[in-house]
Amino acid sequence: MKILTTLKKVVDVELNIKVKNGAIVEEGLQYVMNAWDENAVEASVQLKENKGAETTLISIGGGDNTDIIRKAYAMGIENGIHIDDPALTKADSFVYARILQKVYEKGKYDLVITGKQAQDTDNGQTGIILAQYLGLPCVSNVISIEVMDEQHIKVSRLGDVGTEIVELELPAVVTVSDSINQPRLPVLRGIMMAKKKTIKVMDLATLGTSKDEVGGAAPKSEIVEFIAPEARKGGQKFEGDVAEITARVVDLLANEAKVF
Amino acid sequence: MAKVLVIAEIKQGVLKGSTAQLLSKAKAIGAETAVVAIGSNIELLIPNLVNAGSDTQYIADDPGLELFSAGPYSSCVVDAAKQFGADMIWFGFSESGKTVAPRVAAQLSAACATDITDVMFKGDQIEVIRPAIANKVMQRVKVNTKQLVAVVRAGAFDATEGISGTKNVVKLSSPAPDLKAVIRQIISEASGDIDLADANIVISVGRGAKDQAGVDLVKELANDLEAGFGSSRAMVDGGFMPHYKQVGQTGKIVAPTLYIAIGISGAIQHVAGMKGSKVILAVNKDPEAPIFNVSDYGIVGDLFEVVPILRAEIKKIRS
Ligand SMILES: Cc1cc2nc3c(=O)[nH]c(=O)nc-3n(C[C@H](O)[C@H](O)[C@H](O)COP(=O)(O)OP(=O)(O)OC[C@H]3O[C@@H](n4cnc5c(N)ncnc54)[C@H](O)[C@@H]3O)c2cc1C
Repeated sequence: MKILTTLKKVVDVELNIKVKNGAIVEEGLQYVMNAWDENAVEASVQLKENKGAETTLISIGGGDNTDIIRKAYAMGIENGIHIDDPALTKADSFVYARILQKVYEKGKYDLVITGKQAQDTDNGQTGIILAQYLGLPCVSNVISIEVMDEQHIKVSRLGDVGTEIVELELPAVVTVSDSINQPRLPVLRGIMMAKKKTIKVMDLATLGTSKDEVGGAAPKSEIVEFIAPEARKGGQKFEGDVAEITARVVDLLANEAKVF
Repeated sequence: MAKVLVIAEIKQGVLKGSTAQLLSKAKAIGAETAVVAIGSNIELLIPNLVNAGSDTQYIADDPGLELFSAGPYSSCVVDAAKQFGADMIWFGFSESGKTVAPRVAAQLSAACATDITDVMFKGDQIEVIRPAIANKVMQRVKVNTKQLVAVVRAGAFDATEGISGTKNVVKLSSPAPDLKAVIRQIISEASGDIDLADANIVISVGRGAKDQAGVDLVKELANDLEAGFGSSRAMVDGGFMPHYKQVGQTGKIVAPTLYIAIGISGAIQHVAGMKGSKVILAVNKDPEAPIFNVSDYGIVGDLFEVVPILRAEIKKIRS
């Protein structure tokens, strides 16, 4: 089984993020592997370990992605492709999906595993659109993957009324939730080995396509500006005698906030 | 006049409130409205669909549509969108909506925006507002296509009081089943639970409650208040609460009148799911817990002491 795993470099969401004049202030930001992609990497590596799958990662955009690709290598991914191109600055999910389609068609994979969304955009679209472009079956928000035979996997997904159990014919695309696994921490030996591995870096031309062909010249939507959200302020915090402060808060809920 | 197609959110045979909220917003921006309802045995919901504010009802009613399957559902939406000539196609904030919307957009070559909190026309051009980076920023997004498929964030739009529509039913033909992604089973949530999305009060329990006894203690407070009973991811991971009770970025987005966080630290991924609540109360023994930065009221104390007192005081004030 050949697995293609997607990897995006995103802003570290744990840090303070400031907005000024319609843009995000770059100063002080750090970039890390998208958390849901870590789950995708872990799921792929588990299939390598348990089912002998062959694992390849694809990362698009982000400038120098060596650090996150090496981290995925250290976790156990075997091969890596990085596609970067100045033409990608305004790419939307559809452009990413077109590029992934090109990569997929060159490699003939059995399973594509993506994170359910990227932490920088929170869009949650790329993997699903890719499946649509490829005409492949797709399940999103997946919390378990079980290999049934050469041609089929069984996945469970968190749906609206409970856990949905779906059998997929391969090749297929799944997008994974953070509930699927606990991504491993790379061990020293893995980190050392990862340093020796190569990364195949390409631009769109090397991939055999162009900005126009992947829709990069006419994105379907674009961000006009960033806006600082209305911040919720901390209100009244009470410390001291628990019986007293709890009674006081209940009184405030009833008579000030008027919620009961 | 712009045309907005709203996807009816039907859960266990009941039409959810999001449908009227989305139709109200569509009318408020001056659009002509239609709704598409997909499922099995749903014709009896037609009066509800009309009352929710739709002027045309596209109905895909087929036994094969009883269990959710993204492929056939997206075919129904695409069919309705084409027949109606929709400029915008809006889904409520559901897992089915989040997975069907990008498929529909790809099929129609339309733009797709998830988690929108507002939508407007700038001349002929559609713009939306949506959060990103775990709600730390908002984006204003310009749509370059004529059509937009959107998923609307839970609680973003209010239903207009006294809204109604007109009955004009169009039956859709049954879509082909997806033979490559076969839904085998849905392990349903416990019935009789209060749906977090509908609850006026939501009480969530976090790792501070430690174990099942702690969870049960907090649950009694939820029972007293007839509140929805939610959870942080820590208690789901610990096996004390089911997945569908998780509040947050990968769980449910809730916006109740009152949200009570008990023994929850306030990680951004949790806060992203509840910060739209009108009033927030937090109980945490750590005065520095980040949850207090988003709470209107905070009780610093041990939840095992605080919760029984909360129950007693609330009973007192309510009687
Ligand atoms: C990609 C991703 C997605 C995620 N999605 C979600 C999500 O959807 N929802 C979610 O909730 N989390 C999510 N998380 C996890 C999140 O980051 C936190 O790990 C999680 O919310 C922590 O849960 P908690 O607050 O219950 O536990 P902790 O952070 O351990 O906090 C426990 C709190 O309880 C307090 N406490 C302890 N004992 C007591 C006591 N006796 N009385 C009172 N207070 C006490 C402590 O002071 C502490 O503040 C996600 C993480 C990632 C990386």
